[in-house]
Amino acid sequence: MAQVELRDVVKKFGSTQVVHGTNLTIEDNEFIVLVGPSGCGKSTILRMIAGLESVSGGEIRIADKPINEVDPVDRNVAMVFQNYALYPHMTVFDNMAFSLKMAGDSKQEILRKVNEAAEILELSPYLNRKPAELSGGQRQRVAMGRAIVRQPSVFLFDEPLSNLDAQLRTQMRMELKKLHLKMKTTTIYVTHDQVEAMTLADKIVILKDGFIQQVGSPVEVFERPANRFVAGFIGNPPINMLPGVFHREGESSSVTMGALTLPVPEARNLQDNQRVLVGIRPDAIKAGDSVTRFPKEWRFTVDVVVAEILGGQSLLEFTAGKNTMIAELEGRILARQGESMELGFDLNRLLFFDPETELALY
Amino acid sequence: MPGPVMPDQAIGTSMRNKDRISAFLTLLPSIILIGIFVYGFIGNTFWISLSDWGGAAALAENPVKSYVGFANYLDLFTGFLGGGFRQDLVNAVFYSVMLLAGAIGIGLILAMLLDNKPRGESFFRTVFLYPMSLSFIVTGTIWRWMLAPQGGVNILPTYVGLPPLRFPWLSSTDAILLFNWQNLLPIALYLVSLVLIIWGLWRLKNNPAKALVLLIPGVVVGGSVWLWGDLLPQALFMEEIHGFNTATFGIIMATIWQYSGYTMALYLAGFTGISQDLRDAAMLDGASTAKYYRYIALPMVKPITISAIIILSHISLKMFDLIFAMTGPDNGQTGHPALNMYLTTFRANDFARGAAIAIILFIIAATFIIPYMISSYRQRRSR
Ligand SMILES: Nc1ncnc2c1ncn2[C@@H]1O[C@H](COP(=O)(O)OP(=O)(O)O)[C@@H](O)[C@H]1O
Ligand SMILES: [Mg+2]
Repeated sequence: MAQVELRDVVKKFGSTQVVHGTNLTIEDNEFIVLVGPSGCGKSTILRMIAGLESVSGGEIRIADKPINEVDPVDRNVAMVFQNYALYPHMTVFDNMAFSLKMAGDSKQEILRKVNEAAEILELSPYLNRKPAELSGGQRQRVAMGRAIVRQPSVFLFDEPLSNLDAQLRTQMRMELKKLHLKMKTTTIYVTHDQVEAMTLADKIVILKDGFIQQVGSPVEVFERPANRFVAGFIGNPPINMLPGVFHREGESSSVTMGALTLPVPEARNLQDNQRVLVGIRPDAIKAGDSVTRFPKEWRFTVDVVVAEILGGQSLLEFTAGKNTMIAELEGRILARQGESMELGFDLNRLLFFDPETELALY
Repeated sequence: MPGPVMPDQAIGTSMRNKDRISAFLTLLPSIILIGIFVYGFIGNTFWISLSDWGGAAALAENPVKSYVGFANYLDLFTGFLGGGFRQDLVNAVFYSVMLLAGAIGIGLILAMLLDNKPRGESFFRTVFLYPMSLSFIVTGTIWRWMLAPQGGVNILPTYVGLPPLRFPWLSSTDAILLFNWQNLLPIALYLVSLVLIIWGLWRLKNNPAKALVLLIPGVVVGGSVWLWGDLLPQALFMEEIHGFNTATFGIIMATIWQYSGYTMALYLAGFTGISQDLRDAAMLDGASTAKYYRYIALPMVKPITISAIIILSHISLKMFDLIFAMTGPDNGQTGHPALNMYLTTFRANDFARGAAIAIILFIIAATFIIPYMISSYRQRRSR
């Protein structure tokens, strides 16, 4: 039960600064995900919260108490590492019991807590095994078990799923979510995988080069990205980003990208002839029956480049007015290169960015 | 995991036989050379140790060597003239135990200090490892000078205004921890009982059933020797006192000086191999630095401890040049079986008895090394 607060937190390694005055509040019981490309400082922030790295400037507060100078063990945080960091010479039981033993808990107390955690994580049959005798997913669970036996006030996860294969990752992701719903502990989760971020988070923090780009709910950062980087980083397949020019004639406005002109339904705070970057989410483009739901001006005939069927969905690469784009379409689209096809664009979801500052223009 | 047979079956029998033959032919020269120069000569030494080659005509062109069975061994352990060898053997035991404790203990402490990355870590690593690059003769010469009655170690206290030490490091003939060789058998049994009881007590916490299997025989052996020890046969027909000769202490210090840097390097390599994450995890779990080493790092480098024990104990068994350079034949009290072997064989020309000493050393070394080889071979197989 604890709120975590970062106030102007700075981290320097020697003379290189990697975190530049970060401000962030993580509410009690919240599941927050720090996401960003490798090397953007996610782990560094997490390790500062854990107390494994010193804080070069600013203040970190847990449960409203400054903890910059508090020993890691007294911060009451538990961390799960990417490579699990299990003690290889100890059994699963001993791995989970270690922190309790260090804290001086009684034997019965340790036995009770470890068995309880093992029950939750379905590890009871493996308590006498060594980590080397477990599968990747089981090791992952032991690492989580080691964290939950301590009943910490904050969980810290540093890319805990990235050593698992895709299928197991999806499964463990769901278990993590369930675990959080059950335990309701403040959780800070670091990943470079935006899918994990989108599916797990109450709140996503997008980082780049040690700067926070945006903080918001998964829907917010997806639909209303703060800048071009966030728009490009969140979403798979990635957003279509095309240079264009905005036009305003009286009440109606439009945007022209090469030979393609799209009407812009909403009144936007843009000048006539302003150069912009236009962002179109692949899932904002529709085909087949749903096209008829769009007004006629929102429908366009495009040339197919290639269609890929992914089970129930299809990815379509196409050109429209010399612009190459990708659409994520429902159903199985059977189309050959050079064929024409009618697509509907959900123009309410158009995004505009300033080509210079790359900030979103709403 | 698929067994090693699988690929062989796939390749087929003729191919496999061909591989075997060429492998055998490639190894043959080494097999022949090792067979002759290692195992052949061990066998030959053993045969000589069963003969009476020695005495005045030992260096004759065709010396007479007649078979005398285990007479040489019996002589060494119980004979009237074997007292020197027995003292050497006692020295070797003390020497090994203290070298192991000293070099492993100091090496471990140094490694733990350097593992925490103090300022100038690489400088100190080189400094501590440096003695290892010296030959024993050089180490011996340095320490002989350091331990000279008027020099080195003895005048150290004068730098802080104290009177100099007067301890005759290398020429002392005093001995402590004395025991009578006649009572060798009861002493050995007491030791066995002590080891069993300590081991049993140590296991008592985790595995009481196994602990009893150790404790009960321990107590029974110890108790019966205490009650009926007089009935045991005596090793000698007269009293013969042996103990830890205080001059050996200087030699042990020199060896520890030379080898603690080596054990430090072994441990440091082991500690460095432990991932930082594990250390971080232990820290978050509430382990202090001391507890990290106690519960995480030391158990993880157990194979290194075992290797260090094996390496150091067989070095201490073979120890010759350092002792030769420091006290050598000058102070007979500090002797060592290997030195004794050399003097017996090549100075006294008593080839048969020298060979017997060699075989005794060989057997002691083998009792250390063979279990180690078996266990490491098993580990490799099970991987
Ligand atoms: N101990 C360190 N010493 C120097 N630079 C470091 C250290 N740890 C991380 N860095 C640098 O800080 C930056 C952020 O690293 P990190 O937080 O690990 O990134 P992420 O976890 O987002 O991939 C990287 O440029 C990295 O090179
Ligand atoms: Mg990282």
